[in-house]
Amino acid sequence: MTEKEIKKPETDAPPMLSVRHVSKTYGAVRALDDASLELGAGEILGLCGHNGAGKSTLVKVLTGQVHPDAGEIVMLGESVEFRNPLDSQAKGLAIVDQELALAPDLSVEENLFLGNFDLSPLRRPAAVRRRARDLLRRIGLDVDPRSPVAGLSIGERQLIEIARLVGRDARVLILDEPTATLSENEIERVFAVVRELVREGRSTIFVSHRLDEVLDLCDRVTVLRDGRVVSSRSTADIGHRQELIRMMIGKELPPPERSDAARVTAGAGAEISGLRVPPAVLDFSQDIKGGQIVGLTGQIGSGTSQVLRALAGLEPDARGEFTLDGRQVRLGSPAAALRAGVAFASNDRKGEGLFLEKTVEENLVATRLHALSRAGFIRGRELKATARRLVEFVKVDSARIDDTVEHFSGGNQQKVFLGRALDRPDVKLLLLDEPTRGVDVAGRAEIHVLIRQAALAGVAVLFASTELDEILDLSDHVVTMFGGQIVASLAREDTNAELISADMTMSHERKEVAS
Amino acid sequence: MSTDVATASSGPGPLGTPTRNTRETAILAAFYGAIALFAALIIFGAIDTDGFLTMTNVRAILSSVAFVGMVAVGTALIMISGNLFSLAVGSTAAAAAMIFLALLPHGIVLAFAVTLLMGIVVGAVQGFLVGGIGANTIIVTIGAASLIQGVALWASKGATILPPKGDTSFDWLSGHIFTFAVPIYILFATVVVLDQFLRRSRFGRQLKLVGESIEAARAAGIRTAWVVIGAFCIASFLFAFAGLELGAFNESGSLLIEGTQTYDAIAAAVVGGIAITGGRGSVWQALGGAILIAMISDILLLRGYSEGIQILVKGVVVFAVVVLARLNRMRAES
Repeated sequence: MTEKEIKKPETDAPPMLSVRHVSKTYGAVRALDDASLELGAGEILGLCGHNGAGKSTLVKVLTGQVHPDAGEIVMLGESVEFRNPLDSQAKGLAIVDQELALAPDLSVEENLFLGNFDLSPLRRPAAVRRRARDLLRRIGLDVDPRSPVAGLSIGERQLIEIARLVGRDARVLILDEPTATLSENEIERVFAVVRELVREGRSTIFVSHRLDEVLDLCDRVTVLRDGRVVSSRSTADIGHRQELIRMMIGKELPPPERSDAARVTAGAGAEISGLRVPPAVLDFSQDIKGGQIVGLTGQIGSGTSQVLRALAGLEPDARGEFTLDGRQVRLGSPAAALRAGVAFASNDRKGEGLFLEKTVEENLVATRLHALSRAGFIRGRELKATARRLVEFVKVDSARIDDTVEHFSGGNQQKVFLGRALDRPDVKLLLLDEPTRGVDVAGRAEIHVLIRQAALAGVAVLFASTELDEILDLSDHVVTMFGGQIVASLAREDTNAELISADMTMSHERKEVAS
Repeated sequence: MSTDVATASSGPGPLGTPTRNTRETAILAAFYGAIALFAALIIFGAIDTDGFLTMTNVRAILSSVAFVGMVAVGTALIMISGNLFSLAVGSTAAAAAMIFLALLPHGIVLAFAVTLLMGIVVGAVQGFLVGGIGANTIIVTIGAASLIQGVALWASKGATILPPKGDTSFDWLSGHIFTFAVPIYILFATVVVLDQFLRRSRFGRQLKLVGESIEAARAAGIRTAWVVIGAFCIASFLFAFAGLELGAFNESGSLLIEGTQTYDAIAAAVVGGIAITGGRGSVWQALGGAILIAMISDILLLRGYSEGIQILVKGVVVFAVVVLARLNRMRAES
């Protein structure tokens, strides 16, 4: 508490950044409606809200990617206008988001000074090396500045990116969902660096759906709802995430309903044995009965993603036995997997998931074109009916069925994406990789309901998640992986958060418990 | 309890000057302005040019469109599939003309069949290399062009192929029905049928999905290799058909038939507004692009400009369309 008071800026000094009455309209949608916020020097501000509440738009306004229809941005008392991302960078704003902007084949130091021509490695190699070492020390990363970025973990890459922004002397760091792809340890490291940076007088805006992290890291939280700022309070004042959720949605959410493990029905389901995807997966065997939801968890790099991708036919090197309802499924062919009744929703929603420039309708029916055509020709009326039914099913605004999905919020995109795999009589195994990544609390609950419905209809579900809450809420059975192998496979009622996180990290506590 | 650090200015603070976005307005103005200017130039050029609005001239324009339109439609398919364009258009057409004329002594049916089959096979091979093993389209089609030319030269020993003396079995291909040349009817029929096919068939849907994102299409279980092979087969079939028509029209076949067809086909597809990045566009757009380019060339020709100027203007039109497409995209995004 005292620390926060020390950081409190002089009351007469202008705040680092103020956003004043900013509005932005896309067609009929008011993405931002008279939104205002302030960020003090040395402050970490959390920015929370539903998908579609306006967070992304606000971030884009600050980074110069979007031009507000009205309003003003003031930095240190001076009105500024960001016509493009360069303007924003020149004023000291810098963003780190999930899509890291590093060149993987270049070295760490080349990446650190990318675009910084005063310090081109070609011109002053010694000075650059010194400065790179200095930056790496400040973020506590012990890597050789000459090693290529491709060899680093995602968390380390994120730290490199932060170091680069520090090297540019960014005064305001915007972290947009930075932890979505990180493991717990990596998150702690990033947070420690951020805390260190604000101690130097820099400011940070932390955009996240992970409310516990927001409360842990931030001094203050600004909550957006329907494009408006509904509240701005100190985290000490908010105290608990339930309160933050209430602020975000304006009401209390019912606690997530536990799935009923006893309902596991007949249906042979999927049998996987001796699955290998070198080098990521060394050995994976698991049976999933029809109607059962199996949660797969582990740190980044533990191989969970590759297990799902292999079963979906997307890993050409995958070997092993995989049968579905007693019938052998050929690995390595997505089309064969689809025909056998496997539906897969990738964690890479933008790359391997949606057709962003296509409409909701086109996306929803993309995996059912065979069922919806006769002799190679589409049955138009049936296709439309199916799309309408699915839109209702996944609870996306049916008026937007002919809109392209690229401007949808993350949660709505995910619902459309899942809609492709859901409610299909031919699907026997549903594979979901991080089904709620980048999705807000309410959207997440809706998506969980959809997954449970699929299981109730007799589909075997295998999903991967790095979020413990999700694993515990949704799974009937929890499989934990480490280094490409299963370290624990337990029914939901036989495990808990402590056990799982010990398994994920293969830490000593677990060994003690086990012994 | 610490007080809120720097309370948010949720109350009525000092109102910033509302910066009505001038950039979006500028983009809109530039977009519609450019289209209006473009349309005005063509309409004015058409009306002001003596002889443009005569039946003879319309016939002449359509005759040139008949061939370019065919290869443009084929190029459109490859473009929609997300694989840029083929650089083997002219070579395929030239080889088709030569094969067709060389086989005429064995009967026109056989000549037709073998020529078009050659087109399909050549397309299938290129489609397999691009869609099946992920090779780069530009390289593959350059290689294919070179191979086709090499085989054509070797087999013909460099001679120009002429139809058998007194053979009139193919004359109907360059004949006229109701004042228009037969290839024009063939072209329009092709566009109508192909357009309907792409709209109604599963292949048409998949083609656009693959063109938009091949990774997403693969993950959705679409057999992307077959879709790309299909696009190349149909495209190459159309290239061969255009070459066959040209051979019949010229009554001679050699590699010279190639001319600037490859580039004309790409230009027509681009000017027609087909997304070079794939996923969007229709065969009608390719036809429209071909007609537009033919009209502009015709106006320049009638007004007595040199060939250099005609080619130059074609380049300007392509650039103008690229800029317009970009402006349109920015308009949609802002």
